[in-house]
Order: sequence, then structure tokens, then C-alpha cells
Amino acid sequence: MFHKIGYIIGMATALTFTGCQLKEVVNPNITDESYLGTTQSAQIWLNGMYRQLALTLNEVVTDAEITSDNYYNNSSLSNKVFDIPTILYSDLDVDNMQRAIGKLREMGDYGIAKIIPADKEATAHIKAEMAFVTGYACLLSGELYKGLPLTANGPVVPSADLFAKAIQHFKSALALQTDATRKNYYTLALARTYYNLGDKVNAVLYADAIMKTAPLLLLNVKFDGVNGVSNTMQTYTFSSSTNTYAPLPRLDFLDPKYYHVGNMATDQKPIAILKGEEAYLIMAEAAIGSGNLAGAKTILKNLIQEVVSKRPLASVNGSLAKRKGNRSDYPLLATVAVKADPQAPARNGLILDRQAGNITVYTVSGTSVQAANIDAAATEDEVLYLLCLMRQEIFMSEGRRMTDLGIRFPVSQVEMQNNPHVGAADIVAVIPAYIPLQLGMDDFIYDKANGLVTIKNDLNKILVQNKKAVGVLPMLK
Amino acid sequence: MKCRFLVTGLLCFFLSLQQATAQQKIQGNVVDNVRKTALQGVSVQLVGTQAGTITDLNGHFTLQLPAMKKMPESVVLFFSMVGYANVEKTVPLAALNEALQVVMREDLLKLDEVVVTGQGLNVSKRRLSTNVTTISANQLKNLPVSRIDQLLQSQIPNAQFKLSGGQAGATSIVQTRGFNSAFSNSTPIVYVDGVRIDNLNTAPGLGMNISGGISQGASTSALSDIPLENIEKIEFINGGAATTLYGSDAANGVLQIFTKKGGASKANFTAGADVGVETATNDYLFFKRTRDLLFKTGMYNKYSVGVDGGTSDFGFSMGASYSKSSGVLIHNQNQIEKFDFRTGFHAKLSDAVKYEASFSYNTQNLKRARNANVGGYAGLWFAEDGASKIIGPGFNPKLDSLNDADYARVKSFVDSAEMLQNNGSVVNRFQTSQTIRYQPIKNLLIKGTFGVDYRAQTEQSVVSLAFNRHIRSNNVGSLSKYDRNYLGITLELTGQYDYKFRDFSFLTTAGMQLFRNKDEQIAYIGQDIRDGALTIGQAATKTSNERFSDVANYGIFLQENVGYKNRYFLDLGIRGDGNSAFGKSIGTQYYPKIGVSYIVSSEPYFKQWKQDVINSVKLRANYGVAGIFPTPFANDRTIQFNGFDGGQSASFGQPGNISLKPEKSYSKEIGLDLGLMNDKISFTVSYFNNTTRDALFVVPPAPSSGQANLLKNIGVITNKGWEFATQIAILEQKDWDLRVRASANTVENNVESTGDAPSFALNGLSSRTIQIVVKQGYPVGYISGNLGVFNPDGTLNSYIPQTFLGSTIPTLTGSFGLNLRYKNLSFFANADYQKGGYLDNWDKQFRVNYGASTEGVPAAEIAKNGASNWLNYSQLFVEKSDFLKVRTIGLVYAFNKQWLGKTFKAASIGFTAVNPFNFTASASDPEAVMPGGAQGQGSATTGGLNYANYSAPRQFIASLKINF
Repeated sequence: MFHKIGYIIGMATALTFTGCQLKEVVNPNITDESYLGTTQSAQIWLNGMYRQLALTLNEVVTDAEITSDNYYNNSSLSNKVFDIPTILYSDLDVDNMQRAIGKLREMGDYGIAKIIPADKEATAHIKAEMAFVTGYACLLSGELYKGLPLTANGPVVPSADLFAKAIQHFKSALALQTDATRKNYYTLALARTYYNLGDKVNAVLYADAIMKTAPLLLLNVKFDGVNGVSNTMQTYTFSSSTNTYAPLPRLDFLDPKYYHVGNMATDQKPIAILKGEEAYLIMAEAAIGSGNLAGAKTILKNLIQEVVSKRPLASVNGSLAKRKGNRSDYPLLATVAVKADPQAPARNGLILDRQAGNITVYTVSGTSVQAANIDAAATEDEVLYLLCLMRQEIFMSEGRRMTDLGIRFPVSQVEMQNNPHVGAADIVAVIPAYIPLQLGMDDFIYDKANGLVTIKNDLNKILVQNKKAVGVLPMLK
Repeated sequence: MKCRFLVTGLLCFFLSLQQATAQQKIQGNVVDNVRKTALQGVSVQLVGTQAGTITDLNGHFTLQLPAMKKMPESVVLFFSMVGYANVEKTVPLAALNEALQVVMREDLLKLDEVVVTGQGLNVSKRRLSTNVTTISANQLKNLPVSRIDQLLQSQIPNAQFKLSGGQAGATSIVQTRGFNSAFSNSTPIVYVDGVRIDNLNTAPGLGMNISGGISQGASTSALSDIPLENIEKIEFINGGAATTLYGSDAANGVLQIFTKKGGASKANFTAGADVGVETATNDYLFFKRTRDLLFKTGMYNKYSVGVDGGTSDFGFSMGASYSKSSGVLIHNQNQIEKFDFRTGFHAKLSDAVKYEASFSYNTQNLKRARNANVGGYAGLWFAEDGASKIIGPGFNPKLDSLNDADYARVKSFVDSAEMLQNNGSVVNRFQTSQTIRYQPIKNLLIKGTFGVDYRAQTEQSVVSLAFNRHIRSNNVGSLSKYDRNYLGITLELTGQYDYKFRDFSFLTTAGMQLFRNKDEQIAYIGQDIRDGALTIGQAATKTSNERFSDVANYGIFLQENVGYKNRYFLDLGIRGDGNSAFGKSIGTQYYPKIGVSYIVSSEPYFKQWKQDVINSVKLRANYGVAGIFPTPFANDRTIQFNGFDGGQSASFGQPGNISLKPEKSYSKEIGLDLGLMNDKISFTVSYFNNTTRDALFVVPPAPSSGQANLLKNIGVITNKGWEFATQIAILEQKDWDLRVRASANTVENNVESTGDAPSFALNGLSSRTIQIVVKQGYPVGYISGNLGVFNPDGTLNSYIPQTFLGSTIPTLTGSFGLNLRYKNLSFFANADYQKGGYLDNWDKQFRVNYGASTEGVPAAEIAKNGASNWLNYSQLFVEKSDFLKVRTIGLVYAFNKQWLGKTFKAASIGFTAVNPFNFTASASDPEAVMPGGAQGQGSATTGGLNYANYSAPRQFIASLKINF
């Protein structure tokens, strides 16, 4: 019997020991507590914020471009209703955009409050950059929404408060930063924020500084296709085999802004978030708002001469953009003329023949407006029209047009379901009454026989007609 | 290193065993009572010892009696076989030299069948308050299918297996008693000889993406490469009280495969060949020309060999097979090639100790076609969804309206696009189970099991430059490879003591179990690579990624089954579990069960009744708890690191949850089992009511929090319904047999609470299109989309977004089976059905978008708005998913032995049609759905969205089997 008991004990012991060994599991991931205070923790967190900024732009730029007259989503990829525009708080992309911006802001707050104090190696530059990127998240929030929470599950604050927070961060960044180039970025960011607030004095103050000292300022956000952060706008306007986004025919010559040669993963073009052109555009709009048409015209001409014409161009094979999709009637020949609306004159040179050879790509800015056009503009509305057109063309593919049109996104459904502060008014998109519905922003008629495209609505003309409306042309108020 | 203790312990144990001494033999034959035919594979056990053997092809057995210090006056032999009533024979010592004649009768109700799964060790079904479905090798031997879930289609009365992609080796969707979880996939856990094996039935976390995303198309299932050779029987138990002893892992039920460990006497060889053709199931194609564009007739071959033999002291059994199916897609893009090998043996180490082992190795190599939402190009999307309009040079998507010249252009384009694909998956899998049975005294049996499942899968996806150029993509060529290595280790020690006291019988079972699953995945991707170069090292740019999961679950269990007068039984059990995936504040989790079983027909008063009408009556009721453990490592709050712009970058990782615990399914069940008309009819009815509490939901937090989705125990899900199953032996004669079986199962599924969390999607596209959604007050996984409101003239007036458009869960499922034998000729047919569910025919909806068809949309709406509202009246594309599908129809002829001469012991030929007939309410295949779970690897899915997925093909197979 002892033998038998011995066997049983032997088996049980062997299994118990083995079991004790086997039940120990080590988590290969790093916890937040163990990360704080480690070497380069602030620097790496900042790099994470740059990455999140790129991811945020992927949401913002692609959605904002189709929620405007710039682009039409001509395939089943990406959002199919923002073109209409239908912007429901329940839409996944509404949530995705807010989530990306929210994460960027929260990362900034966490970085400033927790990571930096714990890291002895955190430099003033790192602190300044964290403040700047956090401020940029607030700036985007104010531009794209009429209101958003500024804290996790916090109250929905109006865009003015979001801009005020952005200004606070940008000023903090300015105070910390010693590098002149980066200080210029923060300065232009301040100009843009004050512009959005309708604070003409401060907008002009900061924009003028840039116009005078750094007209060719260019702050790009980098992507990293090798590490899974590709520029989605590049994918949709160039790399995707199904030609996802199709530009409004009068903007055809500005498409694409981003392209790759050879390996897509290693050639992801950056997106500009701040560039010198914006200072001129702010100054010109402020001049118009002050009744100084001559000054505005001079600024716009300078913009073309001093900045836009100096931006680099590229020669690119764009032959795969055949514009086949939900609409297959996009013009493809350089001989086709375009009327901005049925009453507008027909203009040539806006459509590119992509099969005839390489096309010229405006990698930073391009515009169809020439000095002569500006000289010819006599009235405030005519100058304003050119300003609107130039803003549209210069910021093409950068996700700015939707805000310029006065459209704002709603707070997402998931935010509402989690956050008791979200009210019924917060979950409704702002789509001004002058915005044509039922795909009216992107619609056109192509008279193939006569080589003429007539765009249904000229949104720049509509903007000028509605220049006093809330949410557009803030320097005119 | 970790196994050192075990190996040392076991070696010491073996070495100390005493050798057996000289023995006596007992011989005999076992025959069927009606047909008078020999019964092969009957287990013959000497009661109270480990000694046992099985009958050979002629029903003959020889059993070595163990040496005993003092021989008793008689010995008791116990004869058992799945599907037959047990027989106990007492043989006086004086009669040991006489050949024993044993007659066994078929028993449809199987009240005294001995089962293992869920019980720790052997228990007679009589004592159980829960149902155990047992499937014998005999039941499966004529089904020429090569994967376990397909094999079980229509075989388990209350479980439904749907092959969701139809592509080679692709995942399936299993429904048993509804869907207990909105977190975990509903696939039962699978054991082979007591060892838990990989049952991943969704795409892995890192895997080949040729379907648009983890949830959106065909991906390889770990069920598809479980070897089917050398199986003795399969047991299945539903989640709940039946699986309580499996603790934190078994709310979806347990499927256990038992393999053969030996044969009877001298070596018995078997060989088989299955040869046939495969054709596409084109019932659901919209365009007639799609069949011509994408499909071909394929070939199927399978060759198998096996041998078994042995004595009561030592036995062996081996089976191996090679199969190749060329698939039904052009350029063999769905080819599958398999090699399975399994061997098992048992050895008597002493009178008290028996050793059993099984090993298996298999390899599977399959090709996979681009499908579903992959974009760029996918054959069905191109042809059936109208995407030909935008792909490549662009075509008129109305394929059947094209003139011959235009169609020839389309065909040429598709032919090249298919030819240029090179995607596949290779699996190498090794399993072993090592068991020691130790019976120190007559009433005590101790069993120790150790086993391993190692499954290595490599997926390869080639997107060549030639392919990119062909579909007019301007990207360079790429080669993507994904390795998934799964290592599962199981350790179990169980003891069972049975004791009788007067009219009471006690069966005490106690044990401990540990399993550890390690799942390591590596992606290595080469961009800008020459066409034809198939190693990543040759690429200009290389990237890689890794996903690592590791979990240990350890538990102890105790079960007491008390019987009184062999007709009243009380079943009590509890398991306590620890698990590395539980949150820090969660201690041991307990799973109790209680059940009663009452064999009414064993009452003396009942026996006085006319027993030829009602033979057996069993009433049972039970309550039990089973769990599903949370995702490993989800309990810790982490920082996520990514490479970015040449350096490290950090951001918020997973939010963590210190109170993460298993979701628990509390099940209540009552049932009645009847044997009628001299056991010619069995009838079972059960009512179940399951409530999953602390249901795990992957909850999206507020966007303003910046945090990733959080896994929380906040939901409540209920499933209740009735289950009916019957078998009727209509005819049982020497020359004729006719038997039918049928089952019907209802389920009412509801998400009672989401704990105030937002609704979330299990599957689908986006909320403005179609999603399969979980929301409070609705069934798990309903179709959510825009509900169009039409004007009287047929034009769209408005639409209501995110509206319930139908549940994907069928409310009625079941199966039919028929077996007919006339002398040596047998006919069989199996079918299953479902009713009450819905699907979204996204292919049809997409055709509207691309102008390939306006079918289903009011003409006035098309005239007014064209297809611009195609997403705003999704209800027009929602169809009933009711079906009746005949899975197999076959004819088998067994040759008379006298014709076979001395060389062959037995031979049969057969012809089987697999998937021959489908009757569906929908225009699309209710089973060819987007199969995955959007929440990631192993997540819940209910199907319901048909989008460019292939249907399982038809096969017509001739079989030859011989024994020699």
C-alpha cells in the first residue's frame, strides 16, 4: 500500500511542481507606471505626439476634403456621405476624427502634466513642442467643431474657448522655445488662431510678422509608411488603384499634391499644417475687412510672386488617374474648358491630360489666379472672390476648405453615450443653408462634344454672397 | 526545463513498476442481435482492473487475464460500444476456456453509455443530469470530408456548424444554444485525448490580409487542420452545467476527440481511396457569366492507410492520409493539400497501471483567393458586385449584357488577375497526449494526462508588380509573410473513487488541471521586391511586427455523484480557477453545478407496465456555471510603442482593468429522455435558460478621453430555448435497416444589458453602411443600417440611420439524417436547416452602387435619384437566411467476404455527393458570409453580411476501402 501511495504522491508532486512553473506568465508590455521617469521618456512621448498628429491629419484631411467642393469620393473606399454632405453624429468617421483629435490633446495634457515633470532630460524644446502640438489639437478642434470637450469626458466648450486654449499653449511654446524657425511656426499658429477667433488686431499682428520675416515658412507633418503611418490623402488621390478621390474639374490641375515614386511605403509625402501663404491670406482678408482693397490686392499679388511661385514643383506620372468610379464622366483632356458655374466664363488650362506625359504637381501651393486677375478685380466682392479661390487652391488637399465653407462636425455619438455633458445641440452638424445639398458641391455637367465642363455651383461665389454669415471669412466681421 | 519535474516524476514511476506474471486467457465473439453480424471495435473490459481489449473485424476478442494471487470464483466482463447497450457477463472460472458468445443490441437512447467529457473521468450517462452527444467512428467513416467542423455538420443534434467562407481551410461559425458572448468566438473548445488544442476559428491578430481586414473575409481556421485519422469517437457537451468542470474556458461547450489506441489481436490493415470531382456552387451567382469567369471543375483525391492490432497488454493503431483538392477556382487558387498522420498505443505497465499515448502530425498547404473587402481586385467583387466598372481599364459591369468581344476582354483581364495571385497558408501541426491510468484498488482510478499541441502556420501573400500593373495600381511588388506559432500545454490529474453503500452509490471525482496557451505571431513584410522572389531578404524594404499572447489557467475541481437505487442521482460539482488574464483584484473564480437525474423507468412500478411501448424514461434538471476568460494581458495598463520617423514613439496603450474577470454563463436546464417502442425510438427534449453575467464587452470610451477600447465585465446576455432530438429505427431486420433522425432547436437570444455602454459592431463595414451590431434590447449581432422611408410614388422620402434590420441569429436550427441498408448496400443522407435569421446581401447592394443592376430598388427612385441613395434603403437588401442544405448523400456497398478471397478481410465501394442540394430563402448563400470578428482574434461573430465570399463547393466522390 505504501508503494501505491508513493506512486500517487509522486504523480501529484510532479504535476504540482510542473504546474507551478507553468502558471507564471510575464507580460511583455511596458506599464504606464514603469514608463514614467525613464530615459528619454519625454522625447519619445513627443515623437508619439508627432505620430498621433500624422494620424489625426489622416482623419481630418481626408474627411474635410470630401466635405467640401474640393474632392468627390468616387469609389466605395472611405466615407460615402460627407460629399452629400450628410454628417451624422453616429457616423464612424465623425467618431474617428474626434477620437484622433481627442487623443492628440490628451497625449499633450498627459505629456505636460505627467511625463515632463518625471523626466530630468526634458528640455525646453521638448516642452515647447508638446505645448505647440497640444495647442494645434485645440486649434483643429475649434476649426472643425462648433464645440468639443477640452478634457476627458468634460463639458463641451465652444470653439472660442478651444481657440483660447490653443493660444495659451502656443504662447507657452513661444516662451519656452529658443529656435527662431520654430518660434515662427508658433507665431503663424497664433495668427491662424486669432484669425479664427475673428480677432483682427492680433491676427494681423502675428501674420504680418511672418509675412515680413518668414514668407516661405513651411511646417510639414511627416508620415512613415514603413511603420504603418501612410498619408491617407496620398493614397486616396494617387496611390489607390481605384482613384478614390476625384477633384472638382476646376481644381484638376492641383491634383495630386502628394504622390510616390517607386515604393509607396518609403515615399510618403508630408502634409503642410502651417505655411507662409497663410499669413498673406490672413493679411489680405483683414485688409478687405478694413476696406483697404488696394492693400489686399497688393498682398495677394505678393503672395503669388513671393511665395507661391517659389514653391517647388514636381513632374509626376499621373496616368493611372482615370477617374472611373461612381462617376466616370470626369474630363480627362487638356482641351476641355471649365466654367466655375453656368454663368461663369469658360477657362482653359485647368484640366490636365494625364495620358499625354508627366504632369506638373504643385507640392506645396499652386493657384490659377494670376496678377492680372487681381489687377482686374475692382469691387470688394471681386477681390474677395479671388481671395476665396486662392485660399481654396493654395490649401488644396490640406483639409482646410470645409472650415472655410462654414461647415462644422458634430460631437460623436460615442462621446454622447459616455459623456453626460453632451447635449442635443452638440450632436448636430453645422451645415449652412447656402451649402448645396445632394452632392451639389461636387456636381458638374460635361459636354463632351464641345469640350466644356460646367460646374453646378461656384462655392466661392456663394461664399462671397454669404460673407456676413457666421463661421466664414472672420476678418470681414 | 519546465517539464523537468514531470518527466523525472514519471520516469521514477515507470521504473518502480512491477512486471506482470503469467496469465490466463478468455476468448469469445460479439455479434449484433438483429443482423447477426460481427461487431468490430467493441471494448471488452475486465471489471475492476485495467485489463481490456477490443474485438476484431470478425467480432473476435482475446483477453489476457492478469495474474492474481488468489483467483476469484468468477470474473466479470464488460462489453461496450457507442450506439449499443452495454453488456455485462459473469464468467465462472470453470468456463474460462470456453468461447464466450455475446449478443449486443443497438440502443438509441444510450442510457448506460459511459462518457468522459466534462466528468473528470468515466461516468455512465444514467447518472448525468446533462446531455453528452457521442459520435462513433462508424457514424463518420463514410463521410469523405476532411475537416472536423464539416464532418460534424448535421451530426450533433443541437450544434450547428456553418463553413463561412467556402474557401479552402476557412473559418466556420458554430452555434450551440445561441450566442453566450459578444466578446468570444462561439467555437467550442476542443480536446484530443484530454489535451486542449488550438481552436482559433477567426483570423489571427497578425495575418494575411487579402480580404480587407481581420473580420472581412476568409482566413484559415485551426479547426480545418485537426487530423481526422484514427478517431475512435467524438463527444460533445454544451456550455453550462456540463462544462462546469472546465471552468473559465468552456461556456461555449467542449468537443473532445478520442483516438484509437489499439486493435484486436494480429495486425489489421486498411487502405482507402477517394477520387472525385468538385464543382462550384453557383446557385447564388447573379451573372450567368461569373461561373465562366472565375470557376472551373476541380479534382479531389484522398488516399489513406491504417493498421492496428495488439493484445490486452499492448495495442497500437496508426492512420495516415494524403489528400489534394484542386478547388473550383481557375488557376487552382483554392487548392488544398493535406497530409495527416496519427498513431496511438496503449501498454500495460503492470496490473494496476496502463499507459496510453497518441501522436499526430499533419501538414496542410492551401491557396487563398482575394475576396470580400480587399479592394484593388477580388474576383467576386469584380464580377458579382459591379466593381468591374472601376477596376483595371474599367468595363461595363452588366456582364451578361456584354457582346462577345467585350466579354472576351473581361475574361482575359480576370484570367490574368487570378493567375497573378499567389496567396496561401501552410500549417504544420503536432499533437500528443500521454496518459497514465493507475488503479491501485478496485474502486479507485487515477489518471494523469500530459499533452501538447504545437501548430505552426505561415501565411504568404504576394502582390507582384505584374499584378499591380495589371489592376493599374502604381505600387511596387510586395511579399508579406505571417507566422503564427501556437503552443498549448495541458496537465491534468484526476482521481475517481466509486463506493457503494446499501442502495447508495457514490462516485467521487477530484482533480486539478492546468493549461497554458502561448500564441506568438510575427509579420515580416518586404516591399519593392522582384516578382518571383519569395524570401523577404530579397526585398528593398523590410518591416516586421510581433503579437504575443500567453495565458495560464489552473484549477482544481471536485465532483460528487450520489445515486440511490440506481435511479435517483444527485450530481454536485465545483471548480476553482486562477488565470493570468484575470485582473489583479480578482481572486479565484468558482464555478458550481448541481443536477439531478431520475430514471423513472427503473422504478419497480414502471417495470410492471407494458415495456414495449415506453422502455426508458429519464428526467433531468441541472444548474451550472461555466466561464470564458478575458483577453490575456488586457488587465494591465500599458504604454504603446511604435517606430516612427526613425525613432521610438510612445502613446497610450491599453487602458487596463484591475477587476477584469471571466464572463460567466449561468445555465439552467430541464430535460426528458425517452426510449420508446422497444428502444426503436429515442426522444429527447430539453429546455435551457442561460444567462451570461459580467459579459465582456470591448467598450469604446469617449473620444475625448484619448484612450483605446476597454475590455469590461458589464453585459448581460440571455439565451433560452427548446431542443428536440429523435432517432427512429423504422426497420431493423437482417436484410433491411432504415433509421432516421431529426432535431429542432429554438433559441431566443437577447442582450439584456450593455451596462450603459455604447453599442458596438461585431462585424461589417461602417455604421452608415451595414454593420452587425450589439446593442441593449436586441439579439447579439443584428443587422444595422439605414432604413429608407419611401413616398407613395416609390421615391425615397427620408431614412432612419442605424436601424434594426433583422437578427443574424436563426431562431430555429436543426438537422435530419437517414440511413437505409439493404443487405450490403447502404444509403445515407444528412441535412441541416435554419430559420428565423436574416442576412444583408451586400453584393446586391453594391451592384446598385456600380450600376450593375437596380434589382430590388423601386424604378421611380432610380429614375429620380439614380443610385445615389444606395446606402439609404438598406432594408431592400436584407433577406431571410432560412435554408435547408443537404450536406451529404451517399451510397456504400460492402462486398461479401466470400468474394474477397483470403487476401482481403473486407472491402467496400461508395459514392458520395457533398453539398449536393441547397434550398434557401435568400438570393445569396446564407453561409458565405464575412466570417470574422471585428474586435480581433478570437472575437465573437454571428455572420450575416454577404460580401464577395465564395460558397463551399460541391463534391462528387467515389470511395474504395479495403481491410487486409
